Amino acid sequence: MKITFPHMGNVYFAAKALFDDLGVEYVIPPLTSKGSLEIGSLHSGEEICLPFKIMIGNYMQAIEQGADTVLITGSCGPCRFGEYCELQMNLLNNLGHNLDFIVIDSPGDIGVKELIRRLGKISTGSEYNRLQKFKALLNAVKVVNLIDEVEAKARYLAGFEANRGQCKKILIECKQEAIKCNSGKSMIEILNHYLDKLNQVPIDQRKEPIKIAIIGEIYTVIEPFSNLYIEDKLMDYGISTKRMLTPSWWLKNLVLSPMNMNQLDIKKKSKEYLPMMIGGHARECIGEAVLAYEEGFDGAIQIFPMGCMPEIVSKAILPKISKDKDFPIMTLVVDEMTGEAGYVTRIEAFVDLLERRKDNVLSRC
Amino acid sequence: MFLAYFLQTGQEYFNVANLYKEVFMKVGIPKGLLYENYQPFFHTFFEELGAELIVSPDTNKDILDKGVKYCVDEACLPVKVFHGHVASIKDKCDLIVIPRIMQLRKREFICPKFCGLPEMVISSIPEMPDTTLEPIYAASNEKLFQWAKVTGKQVTNNRSRIQKAFEAAVENQANHKMGFDDRDTKLKVALSGHPYNIYDNYLNMNLIRKLKKLGVGVVTEEFIDDEIKDRETSKLYKKPFWSFARNNYAFTSHAASKGIVNGIIYISSFACGIDSVVIDLVQHNIGDFPLLVLKIDEHTGEAGLDTRIEAFVDMLERRSS
Ligand code: SF4
Ligand code: SF4
Repeated sequence: MKITFPHMGNVYFAAKALFDDLGVEYVIPPLTSKGSLEIGSLHSGEEICLPFKIMIGNYMQAIEQGADTVLITGSCGPCRFGEYCELQMNLLNNLGHNLDFIVIDSPGDIGVKELIRRLGKISTGSEYNRLQKFKALLNAVKVVNLIDEVEAKARYLAGFEANRGQCKKILIECKQEAIKCNSGKSMIEILNHYLDKLNQVPIDQRKEPIKIAIIGEIYTVIEPFSNLYIEDKLMDYGISTKRMLTPSWWLKNLVLSPMNMNQLDIKKKSKEYLPMMIGGHARECIGEAVLAYEEGFDGAIQIFPMGCMPEIVSKAILPKISKDKDFPIMTLVVDEMTGEAGYVTRIEAFVDLLERRKDNVLSRC
Repeated sequence: MFLAYFLQTGQEYFNVANLYKEVFMKVGIPKGLLYENYQPFFHTFFEELGAELIVSPDTNKDILDKGVKYCVDEACLPVKVFHGHVASIKDKCDLIVIPRIMQLRKREFICPKFCGLPEMVISSIPEMPDTTLEPIYAASNEKLFQWAKVTGKQVTNNRSRIQKAFEAAVENQANHKMGFDDRDTKLKVALSGHPYNIYDNYLNMNLIRKLKKLGVGVVTEEFIDDEIKDRETSKLYKKPFWSFARNNYAFTSHAASKGIVNGIIYISSFACGIDSVVIDLVQHNIGDFPLLVLKIDEHTGEAGLDTRIEAFVDMLERRSS
């Protein structure tokens, strides 16, 4: 058995740590690229959402490298994501690939027993005992938390750094080094090392950078390829960005949600504009927009794939927040046709707008 | 007459605001989305509460244009049309019914756009009157009553009246029959898709009439019962979690495998996330059984649609002779 999994931002670090520690064979699909998307689009239904197509691309590229089992998470509330596995299995079977799918689903749908059975399937190739397996899982969770922390810190500090480009350099280096590790433990060490490094980045106290919150559909905000590396671009402009949705957030949310302890502040903030959980992460999107305003951000950018149902609802609501609070919000809809040039122009225009607003405020007082 | 009214209903009504609410309340009901399906329920409920009903006209050009104007670009046509219906009556009523349907069957969901419909409309259309906001969980009558309790209060404070109105509404709804069943026509198709695409003749450009003109009968999902649906969907790895998906998948699967019809027409709208999945599942399931997928949006031309329907019917004729 050779396990693979779809990409989603930094998940592959945690997955690598987990499989290394378990001693199971795995294939990390090549980082998502134009090629993955092209393969994916070729085989998927035209109107299926972008994340689906990219994931198919990931699988196909992993299959080429010998993968035979796919790990995927199932339902995520009332959205298409929950139906992904069925379609993806059909699709890959039709193409003649005989893949095994391990679908991690909420225990409410498949029962706790079945969930444990499926989880057990992941480690069937492992010779370690239970305690070691548990440790491996723990380390993987640590890794995902750390890498997300490194990333968030680098992106936020980018606006304040005294030497332009330092944070980005550290971030890139960190990822390069971390992926070379062969165990969870060593990866954690590396990540901690780079976290320290970021903490020592010289800061220019006089700087008042533009701050932008990245909100929207979870996959497209997390997976950098799908949003045409927007965070990197903003980093280059010396803008601080913040994004709440990350793989580690998702994990925490998953664990806390059965007790209804998850995201109390988001629920509170979104209440006025969208009091319901409607599927996908629309409520998060609305709550984050309000939160970003209250935290003194200069603006927010909403990103979602074409045809994304919950985010279309958010898109209808965001202008109202923007108007009520005088808080600029721009929406970017991405699909496989998104052209880089037009996209960049829009981002630049938005940044210009935020800069002008900031100057006005400053000169007024 | 007013005096008698006072005496009869007792003290609560000495409040002038209440009296106004009760006697003059105009409740608007937009004829979009699932209106056809739940028309008896909503009509009866609000009529029994004593409200005057303002129902929007059948979908027409003006409504479509209004919908396209107000609604977010990325939305699907049925949601845009719903916005148009609301816009067409909003200035005439005190309260607009925007059904936030969350669930029709246990452990199944419906489209996210339904769940956030009131917020979409309120944020997009300026100068809106009050709207209903309470979610509708229609999996059981007890749960549904929760909606009636909260929504009823927007019209009257008389609780027993709300209770009675609710009971009457549920009863009328139970007698509501929909669907086409031309199984005894020689050439017939299974017409599949969301109810609003099937029943809104403006939206689907008179599809049913067109088919009948060509001598083709229409069979819809309503004639197969729950048991068959359960059996058909048990073939899937995961049970579908949208009620729409379950209905359409089970219906097409049954119709094709039992040879009840000569072909399937699936009427859908562009940018419908649910259909994009269901159509894939259906195609995979029925193999090479004839299937015509019609996707509509505000730019769809009638001529092109006609040609495709005619070609499909020709093909069915050839196959059956
Ligand atoms: S949230 Fe959007 S992108 Fe994700 S499955 Fe749903 S429709 Fe697709
Ligand atoms: S189910 Fe499809 S057509 Fe209906 S509202 Fe949702 S996206 Fe639109």
